[in-house]
Amino acid sequence: MTNNQTLKAYLLLLPGLLPIIAFMSLVVGMAVSQSIGFFNFSGADQFSIQSWREILSQDQFWRAFLYSARTATLSAILSVLLAYPIALWLRRPFPGSDLISAMIKAPILVHGLVAAFLFVNFISFQGFLNVALVNLGFTASPMRMQNDTYAIGVVILQVWKNMPFAFLIIVGSVRAIGDDILDAARGLGAGWLARLRRIILPLTLRSLQAALVLIFIVAAGDYSFQAVAGPTSVNSLAQFMVRTQADNGANGWNEAAVVAVMLMGLSLFGSLIVAGLTQLAVRRMRR
Amino acid sequence: MHGITSSRTVWYRRLSIGLALAVFFFALALPFALAVLWSLVDPAHPWAYPAVLPPVLSLRRWLEVWTTSALPQALYNSYMLAACVSIATLLLASSAAYALGRMEFVGKSIIHLLTLVPLIIPNFISAIFFSALLIELDVYSRFLGVLIGHTVSLLPYAIRLMTVSFAMVRQDLIDAARDLGASPLTVFRTAYLPVIKPGLLAALIIVFILSIEEFAISYIVGAPDFITVPTILYSYLGYNFIRPNAAAVSLILVVPNVVLMLIAERLLRSADPAIVTGKG
Amino acid sequence: MTLMANALAVERASLRYGTFQALIDVTFSVGEGQLVTLLGPSGCGKTTLLKAIAGFMPLDSGRIEISGRDMQGVPPEKRDTAMCFQSYALFPHLSVAENIAFGLRQRRIKSSDIASRVAAVAQQVGLSPQLEKLPGQLSGGQQQRVALARAMAVHPGVMLFDEPLSNLDLKLRDHVRIEIRALQREHGFTAVYVTHDQQEALAMSDLVIVMRNGMIEQMGPPEQIYRHPVNRFVADFVGTANIMPVDVLASDQKSGRYEVTCPFGKAIIHSATPPVGSRIYACWRPEDAMLTSEITEEENRFTFDISARTFLGSLCNLALSPRNGAAEAFFRIQTHGFTPVREGQTVDVVIPPDAIRFLEEVVA
Repeated sequence: MTNNQTLKAYLLLLPGLLPIIAFMSLVVGMAVSQSIGFFNFSGADQFSIQSWREILSQDQFWRAFLYSARTATLSAILSVLLAYPIALWLRRPFPGSDLISAMIKAPILVHGLVAAFLFVNFISFQGFLNVALVNLGFTASPMRMQNDTYAIGVVILQVWKNMPFAFLIIVGSVRAIGDDILDAARGLGAGWLARLRRIILPLTLRSLQAALVLIFIVAAGDYSFQAVAGPTSVNSLAQFMVRTQADNGANGWNEAAVVAVMLMGLSLFGSLIVAGLTQLAVRRMRR
Repeated sequence: MHGITSSRTVWYRRLSIGLALAVFFFALALPFALAVLWSLVDPAHPWAYPAVLPPVLSLRRWLEVWTTSALPQALYNSYMLAACVSIATLLLASSAAYALGRMEFVGKSIIHLLTLVPLIIPNFISAIFFSALLIELDVYSRFLGVLIGHTVSLLPYAIRLMTVSFAMVRQDLIDAARDLGASPLTVFRTAYLPVIKPGLLAALIIVFILSIEEFAISYIVGAPDFITVPTILYSYLGYNFIRPNAAAVSLILVVPNVVLMLIAERLLRSADPAIVTGKG
Repeated sequence: MTLMANALAVERASLRYGTFQALIDVTFSVGEGQLVTLLGPSGCGKTTLLKAIAGFMPLDSGRIEISGRDMQGVPPEKRDTAMCFQSYALFPHLSVAENIAFGLRQRRIKSSDIASRVAAVAQQVGLSPQLEKLPGQLSGGQQQRVALARAMAVHPGVMLFDEPLSNLDLKLRDHVRIEIRALQREHGFTAVYVTHDQQEALAMSDLVIVMRNGMIEQMGPPEQIYRHPVNRFVADFVGTANIMPVDVLASDQKSGRYEVTCPFGKAIIHSATPPVGSRIYACWRPEDAMLTSEITEEENRFTFDISARTFLGSLCNLALSPRNGAAEAFFRIQTHGFTPVREGQTVDVVIPPDAIRFLEEVVA
């Protein structure tokens, strides 16, 4: 009976699940095998770590790797740091709170490239910010802020675009904490800081981690923000991958595959590390 | 909350709402207003540095973008593709959503996680190695490539949304309909359809929007033969930054999607089973 | 009798939400080691009053003193109270031991002292084997004990209970009720206990405060509340009562003997307190009436038709309509054991004169 049910369920799952599994394993499999010399578009297929050697010895690759790791970490942490207090603030509805959550969610509806354009338009040499600063007398002449070397613009864009997701994930878990639980803690002598450390943070840890992981992965794989608003002296990993594939002819595929595997590794381990460190921090604060 | 503290709380709240409105204004409203302004700059009278406002406003830029660029073609491609993608996605997702929403089976939670895998692989990795796969399989139709790519990468959203819809169908209504001798079709029409319809439409719209917005696969697999609105926008943002054109295309990309998204959100909100069945 | 120190004093407390007056001029005090229940229907303000004592809701006017200290402006975390919530409100991520220790750690007590106090409290409520479990792994009754232990552990000046038994099933409820009362007696903690269950209130309190619409209707020991209700609301809410309008015909205040007409005839009432008017309400309890097969008195003897009979095992409820009275009026009496009467039969009933109480005046 149950076996029958399970069989039926799996048959029903096939049309939706099979394309996903096939596509994803083929794509990831393609990347991994091309990185070690299979499915070559030039020459014979044979195992080789030539592309790995080639890429891992490139200074430019490591700069891209560190750059992506750094912006992803910064974006994830800043988004969550910004979203968390707002989620706490909007825990209980009050007049106007619906309007505020609608405003917070608005960036979700704006395409990443459009966001990048709006931002660049805003800070460019003859953009609003410069015109305003000059006319208000803060600066004598317009500043060059576009494509800044420290990727501040990219991080701002990432936070702008991803904070709403962090907010949505966190606000659900914050709202799930009952008033009684917080009142009980208060009644037992816990002030707001103690309530935050010992009750709210531990109870929202999972959603905190989920938000961090999600944003880390999205930001680590970023292409558009970096291409439009990022520093011109360095590439993001995704950008480096696309460029390697396009520039290096037939070998490009294999080398791009190495970058892809490294990017997947960064997404996986980077997000795990960020989530693990958060857990440690919250554990420690609980004491 | 009451009495003496209430007026202080109210002022504190007003202040913070004001602050939120100000942030919203600078982070979203003003940049959009500037985009509208830039799209209306007259091509013959450029808006250069010292000028605070554009010297001449006209719709000529819009006309120029429309007639000289590939935008009409891109719009046709984007919307045509999105329609195909959303229908294909829905067809593939519905039976899986039914199984996940209404059946118990071994390994359900693992299957749930598996459906979400496309979301954690960086877009550009899927795009590049999907295009490698297409070369390997000798598939040269750009449209077909992008269609498959979009459909698979948007399947998780459709499955997720429709699973929730199917889970909301009330077993007692199904049982009652069957008890009263309804045929499977009637059971579907009376017990399932009213509950899943809003979720179904919302899934359709959301997949539609996400397909129009998708950039990585459209760019890597589709370009340069198969252009969509985001690829056009990207071409205006790259090394040859054409600001008024980018402004116009940005608005064309965002405005219809926002409208569609608001409709989808309304649908999802009405998908509450209590409303559909009239029971609290 | 020695004057007891007041562990809690509430003076003219008023509170409103918007236009709804939740508390109006509430005044009472609780002696050290007493258990007081706030009894009333939902919306009567009892929970609001409890939350005001705990500090979760600031009063609009009036004052609250705990152990002689004015609580105006003192936040809940600084008050010497601990609350047992209806929902238990256990911290789901903390073990039973950590839940019990929560308040102690907040009070910066040495960790070795905390451990011994947690162990002692757990022992008292019978939770010692469960200390390392998470709340989610416990049964409802055990969770309720954790909530109790968590509040007891901090030795609060006043323990506050917000309908703590309402989520337990009937049998367990009786058991835990007795246990709470025993613990309260043994450790002598002062407690304010909110409930809408009159039996619970009568069974466990030193003092019962009956509330309605944000006001205190009556306050006194359980026996007094039951035997001498001051108005129809209290008479009806606490126990079952036959309430009827009466006209006072003759009164003799010295002997406390009054003659009245009631819906089923002329009746004699013995009352220490005189009636407040000439047309007033009076009440009597169903169990005070006697069937004449049991007794042969002639005073206050009335004839009724039995319109319904409900056999309850140890008790028997009869619904009676008066022979020569208003057709729609009917009265309830309760007899012990098996009563050999049938529906439709006529019986004579004696209502002892000292069982009838005067209530408030009839307002036309």
